[in-house]
Amino acid sequence: MTDYLDVDARPILRAGGEPFSVIMAAVGGLQQGQGLRLYAPFKPVPLFTVMADKGFAHSASELEGGEWEVLFTPVGAEPETTSIVASNSPFVPWPEPVVELDNRDLDPPEPMVRILAAAEKLGPGETLTSLLRREPVFLFPQLEKRGFRWLGGFRPDGATYELTVRAPL
Amino acid sequence: MIGGSISRWTMTYFAAALTWLLVALALMVAGIGHPAADLAAPDTLVLVHVVCIGWLSIAMCGALFQFVPVLVAQPLFCERWALPALVLLTAGLVSLLAGFMALGARLPSAPWLLPLGAVLLVVGFGLVVVDLGLTAWRRPTGPARFVLVGLASLCATAAFGAVFAFALAGWAGRMGDAVLARGIPLHAVAGLGGWLTLTAMGVSYRLLSMFMLAPDVEDRKSRLTLAAGALAIAATVGGGAIAIGFQLGLNTVLSIAALFGLACAALYGRDIAAIFRSRKRRHLELNMRMAMLSFASLAATGLLGIVLVSTRTLPLYLGAFAFLVAFGWLSGLVLAKLYKIVAFLTWLETYGPVMGRAPTPRVQDLVAESRASKWFTIYYVSVWMGTLALLAAEPGAFRMAAAAMTVGVVGIVREIVRIRRLEDVASPLRLPAGAVAPHLLFAKT
Repeated sequence: MTDYLDVDARPILRAGGEPFSVIMAAVGGLQQGQGLRLYAPFKPVPLFTVMADKGFAHSASELEGGEWEVLFTPVGAEPETTSIVASNSPFVPWPEPVVELDNRDLDPPEPMVRILAAAEKLGPGETLTSLLRREPVFLFPQLEKRGFRWLGGFRPDGATYELTVRAPL
Repeated sequence: MIGGSISRWTMTYFAAALTWLLVALALMVAGIGHPAADLAAPDTLVLVHVVCIGWLSIAMCGALFQFVPVLVAQPLFCERWALPALVLLTAGLVSLLAGFMALGARLPSAPWLLPLGAVLLVVGFGLVVVDLGLTAWRRPTGPARFVLVGLASLCATAAFGAVFAFALAGWAGRMGDAVLARGIPLHAVAGLGGWLTLTAMGVSYRLLSMFMLAPDVEDRKSRLTLAAGALAIAATVGGGAIAIGFQLGLNTVLSIAALFGLACAALYGRDIAAIFRSRKRRHLELNMRMAMLSFASLAATGLLGIVLVSTRTLPLYLGAFAFLVAFGWLSGLVLAKLYKIVAFLTWLETYGPVMGRAPTPRVQDLVAESRASKWFTIYYVSVWMGTLALLAAEPGAFRMAAAAMTVGVVGIVREIVRIRRLEDVASPLRLPAGAVAPHLLFAKT
């Protein structure tokens, strides 16, 4: 059984803080074979790539109220030695959105069409936000193919999904 | 990648399944299998397995390869197993059917055909169960739980079927013969009830709320529905196996299972009604209106079951009952949802890459609902006529109903091919720069 070190990013993020350095410090201090259990108020999708580069597989499970528990398990691969530059940090504050869409009452798949159309008009590094009724699972591969990054999660009411999309730099 | 990508072989599964459906209809029109033949006759076994494995199970597997990753927002455990699984299932089914035909002296005797078919089917379904099961297990919430129970039922169905196949070949010993003699109802309930019905219910929860903009059914409620269904299957399979082992009657076991099954259908009706009531989208698309006819058929199945049991005529009319389950409820729902799923996946495959960069058609622009609704109406009306013909023991009328069903299905298949070929999309929008026309039988992405 893998032993996990717990990191709870929820209070840091709630206080408007930046947990990336705390997480990376915790990763740096892990014993050989030890994993990391992260609690976050949303699914920290961009962190998955960062951790995969460091040789960790992830499994995310949703908790009550839209919060997430993510297990990062070492997969025995050689960890990446290059340091993660700050601009790649998933928790460096993204710029304020230049577009805000409320797509909650649109018929599917209209929200996806509108988000992609708006995303195409973003300048490098700019962001847009959208409110949705459900997790836009079919949108993610399209964003990924175009080099966009996103953060998303349900609000505490569980009925509104908030998505932020950032254009490539 | 999060599980919203297009499953490469889903269209291939759908095409194979629809081909088997046409084979089944041809058999019924020709009067091969029930009701012309006895319920346990080899010809009936051919027809039943063409319908349940070839048409319903293969269509369901194709849909699940696409939708289980969406249900759990995780990629499929192994993409590469989908095609070998289809090849194994097809080869296994062909061998099984040849075995039944040999049993009925339509082919030279070859006792090894049935066990060979069983082994191929077990390996094929095994790949499906492991692949989908491990995917669903990563986030077993809501509808994914129905899929897990459905897959467990599929394992039970296949296990019974394999024992039967070996017993028919004379290779299963006394215990195998005992299971063959009395286990057929258990095999049928686990397959039609557990695997096909519970899985269809689970997937429909998500599809209905997604396409009608309704909140998901409360977890507590859908859990209760699933519990009733799972208890029905567990009572049938577990209780039935014990009853056979101790040489006891199956009536008590099947009565308990029937009560749980009715409770499950009633709770499902309540959940579906709640989705329809709370929907934001008032206008119902064709696939939704047609799905309602299949829900009505499920309700009619429940009523018919109650009437047949209370008048002690179930054994006499089992064919009519099973026909309504297979064609009114399951096939009706699968056809209605195929119509929507094919349009949505084709739209996503063709226009996803250029969306936001060029004007693209809407999903609704790929379909011609007024034309398609005619074929669906013919299909449902002829299914209900076919059920009445079976209840009235009128084989001639039943064959006419089957012919009318064939007309409806051929029409629906034609609509699906037209969707895949983008034939109903107005030409300036059909292929914007950068978009690639989809292949009829598989996804290019």
